[in-house]
Formats: sequence, structure tokens, C-alpha cells
Amino acid sequence: MNNFVFPRPRQSELGEQLRAEVREFLDGWHGDRHAAAAFGGFDPEFSKALGARGWIGMGFPKRYGGGGYGLLERYVVLEELLAARAPIFAHSVADRQSGPLLLKFGNERQRDDILPRIAAGECYFCIGMSEPDSGSDLASVRTRATKVDGGWLVNGAKIWTSSAHRSHYMILLCRTAPVAEARHAGLSQFLVDMKTRGITCRPIVNIAGDHDFNEVHLQDVFLPADALIGVEGEGWQQVTSELALERSGPERFMSHQGAVEEFAVALKQQRSAEGARTLGRLVAHLSILRRMSRSIATMIADGQEPALHAALVKDLGTCFEQDIPETLRLVLQTEPEAGASEAYSAALANVILHAPSCTIRGGTKEVLRGIVAKSLGLR
Amino acid sequence: MSDDMRDMLHESALRIFADNPPDLWAVLQGAGFDKALLAESKGGAGVSWADACGLLGLAGEHAAAVPLAEAMVGHWLAERAGVEDATLPTIAFSTHPEQIRLARARDGWRVDGTLPRVPWGRTCTHVAFILGPGTTAQLVVLARDAAGVSVTPGHNLAGEPRDTLLLDGVVPQAVVPAPFDAGALLAVGAIVRSALMAGAIERALGLAVEYANLRVQFGRPIGKFQAVQQNIAVLATQAAAARVAAEAGTEAIDDWLAGKGEPLTQSIAAASAKIRTGEAAGQACAISHQVFGAIGFTEEHDLHRFTKRLWSWRDECGNEAYWSLALGERILAGDTKQTLWRTLAPAASGAATGVAK
Ligand SMILES: Cc1cc2nc3c(=O)[nH]c(=O)nc-3n(C[C@H](O)[C@H](O)[C@H](O)COP(=O)(O)OP(=O)(O)OC[C@H]3O[C@@H](n4cnc5c(N)ncnc54)[C@H](O)[C@@H]3O)c2cc1C
Repeated sequence: MNNFVFPRPRQSELGEQLRAEVREFLDGWHGDRHAAAAFGGFDPEFSKALGARGWIGMGFPKRYGGGGYGLLERYVVLEELLAARAPIFAHSVADRQSGPLLLKFGNERQRDDILPRIAAGECYFCIGMSEPDSGSDLASVRTRATKVDGGWLVNGAKIWTSSAHRSHYMILLCRTAPVAEARHAGLSQFLVDMKTRGITCRPIVNIAGDHDFNEVHLQDVFLPADALIGVEGEGWQQVTSELALERSGPERFMSHQGAVEEFAVALKQQRSAEGARTLGRLVAHLSILRRMSRSIATMIADGQEPALHAALVKDLGTCFEQDIPETLRLVLQTEPEAGASEAYSAALANVILHAPSCTIRGGTKEVLRGIVAKSLGLR
Repeated sequence: MSDDMRDMLHESALRIFADNPPDLWAVLQGAGFDKALLAESKGGAGVSWADACGLLGLAGEHAAAVPLAEAMVGHWLAERAGVEDATLPTIAFSTHPEQIRLARARDGWRVDGTLPRVPWGRTCTHVAFILGPGTTAQLVVLARDAAGVSVTPGHNLAGEPRDTLLLDGVVPQAVVPAPFDAGALLAVGAIVRSALMAGAIERALGLAVEYANLRVQFGRPIGKFQAVQQNIAVLATQAAAARVAAEAGTEAIDDWLAGKGEPLTQSIAAASAKIRTGEAAGQACAISHQVFGAIGFTEEHDLHRFTKRLWSWRDECGNEAYWSLALGERILAGDTKQTLWRTLAPAASGAATGVAK
């Protein structure tokens, strides 16, 4: 029965030393805190400053620009950045999944060329998975790479590609062989320079009024042979391992932490038993999610691939996040207004407008629950 | 204790619960599980609280109708009070200190008042409890057959005895300065309940999965229907969170007793345990009953042995609302310049979330 044992998280001494350093750095940093949705802020200077401190690509070996840290230390830095609502969106995809993907499956040239730049906070990535007709059913992607002299020719379209308009590279998932009996076969991943001819990016504005995601068209895009990542035809296995990284981190339950902080500040002025009770409950959820997430980080640091645990914690974490505005608004009443001078009202507006996306991006909650149900032997 | 010893203890408890002999309690006592928390020199097994709560998880998973949790904590307190003849000590986790008075008479102590809803009050040999705040707190142990003790029977939804003890000038068997106050004992009780609940929730999940694969409607097992799968997946996530919450709580007890962590009454992990398992319990009961349809609503079926315990335990030793308020007030009372996050994740120590150094 015990499919879901979460081992006791291991604490890293080095990580705890880093925590103090990161806090000191953040206390001395007076840039713009994104109103409430952490990792919403895109700030190249900030990314560079983090890179200079060795706080990006922390799990990379030293020869690729890593600082000799492990994933447990990386976790500490990341949760501190998220808690402070620091603008980490520029480098966060590269740090979280594209870099580790290249480290694991990339060829030597890709690693040599790109990992040090990621670690310096100067190289940003976007994820080219979803397509207009392929969302949850990711294996149905139709973008195709055809073998040509010296490389590949890519045709197709990607959508919802976050930061495509300001990223240096995309990790592209596409078909390299016709759909066969096994639907998951015949997919491959490529490293795509976003400046390559034939790539066009059209902005899509989200309900919060922000331009984060995009539609990306790829028309006769030529990729050199060595743009292939890993093994031709094994894109599905690779993308699954990438998704475990995408799903397991603290950004899956901390992106609305800013609103909870503002709520706590406002409560101190306006004490009530209901407010204290609400805060206590949120803290309990947060502390248990954090323990589960740190347990996953420990498993990953030990070389395991806890994809199932990641799906489960993402479901719990994103439902928790999504529920935050619903909980807060009934306790401290205000009319939410984006950008309002009253910090709590602005934060509430921000999380209300972002909440729907929590349980969609990175795999919908229905899809995640399907994965959990399957592991229980229900399908 | 070595890992081998721990595994052996766990295995042997599992075998006993699975066998479920008619004299289950006598068998558990015979094997010394009630005294597991005592040092080996005191006739115990010297297990940590984490290990003890692992055993309680098994008790919850088997809906064992025995006072194991109470006796474990009871022996641990009785030993501290120097009471050696207790064969079934239980605990009164009184949350109503105003209902009870301890006074010094010329010839010793007297206790008057009411101890409400004492687990297994009618069958215990002794009751241990803590009175008074902070450093003036006293640990009191009464013999249940002492003059002046009368028992009004009651029970929780699962039929476990929760008896009210009326005390009329009772001479306690022991009164010693308490090593911690009543608030800390209530937190221990809440964490112990969390451990039991985590086990019962896991069983509710196991039963639901098993049934969903067996019960056929519309020509296929109901577990093939996505609506059913989604509900059971939610139950699984709740079971996982409950287990992690209970473990965090038990580690907070171990850290506190080892002088590593903060006082139990300040620990976020300690308060979170009951809040999180309590919430999980509500969802687990609702979903598992839904999966079972009408058959699960019958007296005859096993499911209610688990769900009734969950519905009872979540309200014992403080429910989610009680602990949420306590935790929220503690946080709001802290340094006003400190962010919530830095209270939750204090620098240079993971103790607040129950993570050992
Ligand atoms: C803010 C944001 C940023 C994103 N960034 C990126 C990015 O950078 N790169 C990228 O590749 N993608 C990105 N995505 C896309 C994201 O991965 C998809 O939205 C997601 O996988 C769901 O696909 P869909 O939107 O097409 O919904 P659909 O798959 O069409 O699903 C619609 C609804 O149907 C349900 N559904 C679908 N299939 C099933 C099924 N089998 N069983 C039960 N229910 C089902 C879904 O759960 C959902 O509720 C982003 C999305 C958002 C919201």
C-alpha cells in the first residue's frame, strides 16, 4: 500500500549557512518585489547578481559553472527567493529544468557552451511542449523535425510558451518519427536557439493583463545535427524526467506566499480570532507541504526520480495556492485592486487573477490525479 | 535503538494487529507495547516517540479497540511521577483547567472536580494529568479505585470509552512538579491522535482502492471510472499529507525532549500535526464512504470502524480550529518585523518544522 512514503528530509548544514547569506543579500536588495505572485518578476540584473554569487545552477558540477553545491542547497536558496518575492522569472526555467536536462541528456558541446552561461544568470530558457491541439495529451504533439542534410528541419507551432519572447533557447519536444502503435515513441527533444531563422513569436496576454506566454511558430527552421538532446526517439522518457523537476519544487505551493505575508501584516493591525485561526491553518498547510517538498528534494539529491511523489505534491500544493485568495478574502474584506496602494488589496487582486493557472500549468490537477490513481492500481 | 530492533518491533506489532486475537489488549501488554516508551531499565523498550507513533499508526490502520496510545503516554507519565503499580494508566487531557482543583490539606494533597472524557476511564487503574500553568504545574497521578472517584460512562462515536471522572476529595497517589505544563501534554495528546489518524486514513484509502477494483457497475469495475479515480487520488494525497504531518509532529516531541527543538507549545510542527491530519480525516471519510455507496453505510461493513474513529479523534485533544487559533495567535504575537516565512523557517535551524539537525 505504501506507495507514498516520504522519507525524512535531510537538512544541509551548508544550506543553512546559505540561508543566512541569502537573507542578508535579500535584505540589502531594494528592487521591485512582484506584488504577490512570486517568480512573476523578470529582472536580468537580478539574475546576474544571483549568478555572480553562485546561486544559479547550484547542482551543476564546477566545470560547468556550478558552485560545488548540491540540490539541497539549491532548494534553500530557491525557497528564500520565493518567500521574498524576488524577480527570478528570467532564469528560473533554465535553473530548474532546462539546465538539469542538458546536464543529464545533453551532449558535451551543449553542456560546455550553455551550462556556464545559465549558472551566470545570463541565459534563459523556455519550454516548447504544449501545442494548440496538444495540451494534457502531450504525446500527441504534431510539430515535426525531419532529417535533412547536416541536421533537421522543423515545422509546427507551440503555444503557452512562457517567456519565449525573451528567452535565448527553447527545449523543443517534437515528432521525429510518424505516430506508431506506441504513441509515446518517435518523440525527440532539441535545443533551439530562439534567434534561428523561421521562428516567430506572437504575444498572448493573460487575464492578469501580463504578457508572459506566447504562440511560437516554427517554419522550416533548420537545426544542426547536434541540436538533438539525448537519444532520438526517447523524447518521452526525457520529458517525463523533466516534468518531475518542473513539478516538484517549492514554486508549486509558494507562488502566493506574498499574499499570505501581506495578510499577516494586515492582521497585526486588525486582530481577530478568525484571522488568527485562518493564519494558523495556512501555516500548518505550508509547513507540511514544505516538508513533503523537501523530502522530494532529498530523494532527488540521492539520485532517485520521484515523479509520482512530485505529481502528488504538485496537486496538493497548487490546490493549496489556489485556495489562498478564497480563504483570505472572507477574513479581511477588501475590494481587490491590482496595483492598489494598499498592499493587501493589491496582493489579493494579484493572487485572484493568477489562481486559475496554478492547477493548469505544469500538468492539470486532473492529469496529476490520473497519475496518482494509476499508481494505486486503478486503471 | 538499532534499526533491526525497530523493524522487529514493528513487524511483531503488525502481526498482532493483523491476527486481531480476542484478547488483543492482553497480548499487546504481554508483548510490552504499552510500556514501549519507558527505558529498558524500567521494563520498557526505550523507543523514540517517532517509533512509538509508528506503532500507533498500525493501531489506527487496524482500528484496534485498545487503549494503546493512552497507556503509552500514561506509563511515561506514571514513571516520571514514581508510580510503579500502574498496569493501565490513562491520561486526562483536560482542556478545562477551571474544572479541577488541587489543594494541599494538612495531611497531603486533595483533588476535587471533574475530569471530562477520560479515555478508558472505567477500566484504567490510574489517571495521570497535569494541572496549573508554567513552572507551577503539577503532575498528578490518581488511582481510579481511590475513595471519592466516581465514573460516569461515555464514549466516542467509535464506542471507545470516554468517561467522566468526578473527584470528591480524592487523595492522589502522587503529586510531583510537572516537567512541562498542561499545554505541552495536550500537544502530545494531539500528536499521538494524529499518528492514529494517519494510520486509519491509510486504511480508508486501502479499502477504497480494493473496493473500486472489485465492485462492477455498467459492466466494469467502478475504479475504471474517472470520477471515482479522481476522488480516490485526492484521498491518497490527503493520506500522504496526514502521514507526513504526523511524522513531523512526533519528531517535534523527540527533538523537544532531547533539548534540540523549541518547547513543544511553540513548535509549528506540533500544532500543524493535528490541523493537517484533522482536515485529511474529514476528506478521507467523505471520499471513502462515497466510493462504497450504500454498503459502506451499513453497520455490518468494516468501513465505519475507521471512519468513526477518524470522526472522533479529529475532535479529541483539540480540533483543527483549536490548533489553528493557537498557532495563528502564537505567530501574530511574535516579532512584528519578522516575516511569516522567517518564523516558519528560522535561520540556522530547521527545528521549527521538526527537521533534525
Ligand atoms: C500560465 C501558464 C504557463 C504555461 N507555460 C507553458 C510553457 O512555458 N510551455 C509549455 O509547453 N506549456 C505551458 N503551459 C501549458 C500547460 O502545460 C497546459 O495548459 C496544460 O498542459 C493543459 O493543457 P491545455 O491548456 O491544452 O488544456 P486541455 O488539455 O485541453 O485540458 C482542458 C481541461 O480538460 C481536462 N482534461 C484533459 N484531458 C483529460 C483527461 N484525459 N482526463 C480528465 N480531464 C482531462 C484538463 O484537466 C482541463 O481541465 C502553460 C500554461 C499556463 C496556464
